[in-house]
Amino acid sequence: MKHHRLIILAMMGTLALGGCRRTPPEPPGPTAEELDAQRRAEQERLAREAAERERLAREAAERERMERERAAAEATARARAIIEEMVHFDYDRFNIRQGDAEILRRKVDVLRQNPSIRVRISGHADERGSTEYNLALGMRRGTAVREFLTGHGIEAGRLEVVSFGEERPIAQGSNEAAWAQNRRAEFEVVGGSFAGGQ
Amino acid sequence: VSWIRRLLFVPLLLGAAPLAAQVTDTTRIPTGVRLGLIYQPVYHPKLAVRPFTGGAGAARIEAVEAIVRRDLDFSDRFELGPVPPSLASGPVDYRAWNSLGVVFLLTGDVDVADGGLHLRLVLHDVVYGTVKETHSFRLADVGAPDFRMTVHAASDEVVRWVTGQRGFAATRVAFIRRNGDGSYSLMTVDSDGENVQEVLRSNDILMSPAFSPDGRRMAYSVGRDDGWQIVERDLASGSVRVLASRPNLAMTPSYAPDGRRIALSLWTGADTDIYDYDVARGCCLRRITTARGEDLSPTYSPDGRRLAYMSDRLGQPHIYVMTVDGRDATVISPYVYGEPGYYTSPQWSPTGSLVAFHGRSRGDFQIMVADADRPGAPVQQLTQEGRSEDPSWAPNGRHLVFAGVRAEGRGLYVMDSVTGRLRPLILGGRYLVPDWSPTLLQASALAVRGP
Repeated sequence: MKHHRLIILAMMGTLALGGCRRTPPEPPGPTAEELDAQRRAEQERLAREAAERERLAREAAERERMERERAAAEATARARAIIEEMVHFDYDRFNIRQGDAEILRRKVDVLRQNPSIRVRISGHADERGSTEYNLALGMRRGTAVREFLTGHGIEAGRLEVVSFGEERPIAQGSNEAAWAQNRRAEFEVVGGSFAGGQ
Repeated sequence: VSWIRRLLFVPLLLGAAPLAAQVTDTTRIPTGVRLGLIYQPVYHPKLAVRPFTGGAGAARIEAVEAIVRRDLDFSDRFELGPVPPSLASGPVDYRAWNSLGVVFLLTGDVDVADGGLHLRLVLHDVVYGTVKETHSFRLADVGAPDFRMTVHAASDEVVRWVTGQRGFAATRVAFIRRNGDGSYSLMTVDSDGENVQEVLRSNDILMSPAFSPDGRRMAYSVGRDDGWQIVERDLASGSVRVLASRPNLAMTPSYAPDGRRIALSLWTGADTDIYDYDVARGCCLRRITTARGEDLSPTYSPDGRRLAYMSDRLGQPHIYVMTVDGRDATVISPYVYGEPGYYTSPQWSPTGSLVAFHGRSRGDFQIMVADADRPGAPVQQLTQEGRSEDPSWAPNGRHLVFAGVRAEGRGLYVMDSVTGRLRPLILGGRYLVPDWSPTLLQASALAVRGP
């Protein structure tokens, strides 16, 4: 009968406990320290979030800036490539050829968009003929190019002309292919900056 | 006689070259140009040089003799005959020499004296069996800087004894060398191809060297990225002064025969024109030509009254002659309306009315000669092989140096315009725009002191 007594006691105990929950005691309020810690945690969280937003914004701005710079550099490179594209000449001639006029017109656009750019035009000749006459011929080729550009509104002061005659060949060899490459005007940016660049 | 054989041989050889060229070359000799088959049948007396003797020692004696022997050969005035061992020494046997066809015999003695050498030369007239000329020359010692030049001056005197006209051995040729690293050198070489000297090396373009008439100065042009200058250099001291400068081009200076003026070409903005500069006073740049087109490479007539020059005012480069104040411009290169022509780099002979230049013929450039006093007359084409450019006359008005490409190589070549004989002067580099000096040393400067 020991078992029955135990069960009854357990049941009573259970009832007594149930009676206690129904009327809980007043819980103790958070301490001042606890509130402080909570506030600090909240502030830290807000600060972290703000820093994170800031970081993301910064990174976005950086990406944007790099993108702009890349685009500008690309534009500058494109502009520079247009300026530097060579034109070529027929043997013993210094007139601008039909196809090369288009190359020069593209330069005119770039020079208008980038008004501080100054360019040195160097005229060259192939190896045939008199060395000294070829220096003069190079000068006339460079001058013909400058006249084309000034004729399209580019100030003469932005364009200087030099001649290297047959002194600076880019293609070696004594054949028409090499000669045709060497009869040329080269373009070098010697001052100013491109508008899209720094 | 062998000189006749030689004369026959030259035209045959030259005649064969055009036939070979025609196989691959469709271009032709320009109208108004006569191929150089009019080399004159000049009599070349046979001359023998007996081994020199004397007390200066075998090495010195042989050094002097070798230079004299080669100078006389290069003069193109003699046929140099061999010396049989039996006649190499002892008293001169005129009959034996005469039987060999020798007309002149040169004997020489070299002795140490005066801190240098004495060279006593005797020219024997074998036909008449007499001594024609004899003279003692004071030479610099072997190895001294002036040694070769003093021997050349003695050789030139021997040529004068025989022909009445001084030889051209005591001269140099100035030229520009393009170096492999892109730099330029102003060079000189003696008339016999020896004693190559670098006067100046520069990363700037060096061009158009020109000796002054006294041989002591040289004008040349310097091209930098920021401009061109005509510079005059004193060859002894190396000091330089700038005669003219232009931001674009300043080229082809050329001295007047009196050495007081220089004609040159300057860029005017649209093209080059010819100017005159007073070197003596160092002032007074004056423009001579105003025509459209390039006017380049002025060169004075011996009397200083006219200039030959290149102009492309008719569309292609041609050679013109005008007065020194720019009047009466006349074409002297073969000009035919509507036909292509390309004639540049004129140089007026120092002794007459001939103007040498180079022109395109059969697809490449060859040396041609026109008579400034006979415009419109056929022009003589002197060279036919390879490529030949930028001629310059020796002071005798007969030999020419030019930049050429031949089977022997690329370099400077010397041609006798009378016989057509050609010899390389210096090979193996990129040499251009040669200019032949005046006589740099005369035999009168080698007079032996005392009796």
